Amino acid sequence: MKSNNNPSMVVERYTVTDRIAHTVHAIAMIVLIITGLKIYAGWDFMSFHSARALHMIAVPFLLAVNWILIPYNIFSEGHGLMGKISHFMDHYIFGPKDAARLSDIIKNFFGKGKYPAFSIYDEEKGHYETKLHPLMKILIVLEGTALFLIAVSGIVLYKLDWSLFGLPIASWITSIAGLIAPALGMSAVGFLRFLHLLMTYWFVFELVIHVGILEFDPHVWKYYKAIFWTGKEDLSDAHYSEYIEKYSRFDAKKH
Amino acid sequence: MDRRTFIKAVGVLGASLFLQAYKSDLVKALELSETKVLWLHGVECTGCTVSMLDGGSPDIVELLRVLNLKLLFQDVLMMQQGIFVDGKPANTSELNSDILLEEILDNEKGYVLISEGGVPNGPAGSGRYMVIGGKTYKETYEKAAKNASVIIAIGQCATHSGVNAAESEIKELLDHRGIAFTMEDSSKGIVNLLGINTPVININGCPAHPDWVFLTISAVVLGKIKVPDDLPYLLDEWKRPKIFFPPDHVIHDNCPRRGYYDHGELDLTVGGGKCLWKLGCKGPYSHADCATRHWNAHLSFCPQAGSPCIGCVEPGFPDSTRPFFVEIEDSGLVGTHLHTVAGVAIGGALLAAGAHAVRRTVLKKPEEKEGYAEESVSEKAEGEK
Repeated sequence: MKSNNNPSMVVERYTVTDRIAHTVHAIAMIVLIITGLKIYAGWDFMSFHSARALHMIAVPFLLAVNWILIPYNIFSEGHGLMGKISHFMDHYIFGPKDAARLSDIIKNFFGKGKYPAFSIYDEEKGHYETKLHPLMKILIVLEGTALFLIAVSGIVLYKLDWSLFGLPIASWITSIAGLIAPALGMSAVGFLRFLHLLMTYWFVFELVIHVGILEFDPHVWKYYKAIFWTGKEDLSDAHYSEYIEKYSRFDAKKH
Repeated sequence: MDRRTFIKAVGVLGASLFLQAYKSDLVKALELSETKVLWLHGVECTGCTVSMLDGGSPDIVELLRVLNLKLLFQDVLMMQQGIFVDGKPANTSELNSDILLEEILDNEKGYVLISEGGVPNGPAGSGRYMVIGGKTYKETYEKAAKNASVIIAIGQCATHSGVNAAESEIKELLDHRGIAFTMEDSSKGIVNLLGINTPVININGCPAHPDWVFLTISAVVLGKIKVPDDLPYLLDEWKRPKIFFPPDHVIHDNCPRRGYYDHGELDLTVGGGKCLWKLGCKGPYSHADCATRHWNAHLSFCPQAGSPCIGCVEPGFPDSTRPFFVEIEDSGLVGTHLHTVAGVAIGGALLAAGAHAVRRTVLKKPEEKEGYAEESVSEKAEGEK
């Protein structure tokens, strides 16, 4: 690595909209989990109506962030359709390189080998080659799926005959659930309630993995600062990150 | 008397004479025309008939009288019995119920068929698990259903085969069918199996509420429900009248114990006065107006009386709502238990998080503390070549 004082070593890791999306997502999710479990378990630290009101206020924030802002953030990067697709694949989809990194991380946990860098910046291209912890890439896909399921089941729990522009969405969801529910010995609405709670538990589980394992490492705490506030990463700090220097490929080929 | 008054008096006299002369014809014309009703019992407990006898507004006699219904056949209420002498039906339809039913099936058409109970199709599609008067009920039912103008299936055994089709070792063997559905499957309804096109209205429940049945019959007889034209928008996907089984409401919405739910006051043992959700109440999943209509002369209904709702109006009942007294989210899925799975997963993740934290902070090797993964750029580039 080069000098620690080189100002060019500081790059933008998270854009402003990335940071807003993450913060709003985190707050909304925590509010939803707490109020949801209060409604389900009947905890008496707040009234049912307050919990339900907070729950319903948090929903549009979570959905707007996940279904509008995050897709915008993902697909505003990269040039051209193929560029956007490859950016998405490189940054968010678990691939063979991520599998190798994850394997090395696990080995490192048991004292064998180095902890591989998972945040790799390409100086020549001027953007990250990959940015997230390999396990995060798995969690993100599962999170998106869980979010879809909890939102869909939540529509029916919110209002059994909810419709949008005259389309009977809740009835459709109940009908689709009715195709699966009998196999599990449940009614459609019962299955949707079950699914809603199961996904809630998933989010708690995911939160523990995300915060408690992936991010519970003093060397990773620099990313907390980045995601919540600065958005910057100083590549001179080599923990878990590396950068591909400009012309390095060219130099390497010359050798 | 002036001329005008005379003409008025003659007019009134003429009108009154006319009314007097044609009184009986006029009354007849104004009366409801007779509607014939055939009420058959298949595999069931007859609880629905008992429930109908408990009806109060109107009661069953009032219903028959006011609507001018002619009850052709009702196994439980009529005086005829099956009489066999030397293996053959004896006497006439005055005394012999089998002969009476035979005559009805041969001569009557366009009646309202009230179907109580399911229709056995087993063993092996023969229907011989229910034979009355030497004939399978399946055969009798086929004839009765084909000649009916409308079938009103009452009670869960008729609407979805209910407990008859519940999961058991002999379910396949018995093969009891509901009228339009067997459990949630419309392709397995007996009308589908026998190719019968008569419209079906389902009045679910175990038992059905007399109001649901009587008001439906009344609406059909009075022409308030035009069969079959009105059925698509009056019935839900399970052929239940939406007015009694509202798709947009569940029993939980109007439960008198709802306030306790809203406050998070949930009974954990029976006998309390609070919300019964944690005792397995299926009110949040059950579409019926029990909480507003009430049962037993409109006085009470299950959760109000202290028993958790068992979801007896739902299509998959009883399989979809049992265990009756265990919360659905707590009942387990494919041999597991949701809270246990979640508890183990989250607890395991927390333990792993603790181990991870210790490993990354306390048990760190000296070289790791100085910084690691510091691969040189040239090494990286070399690796990528």
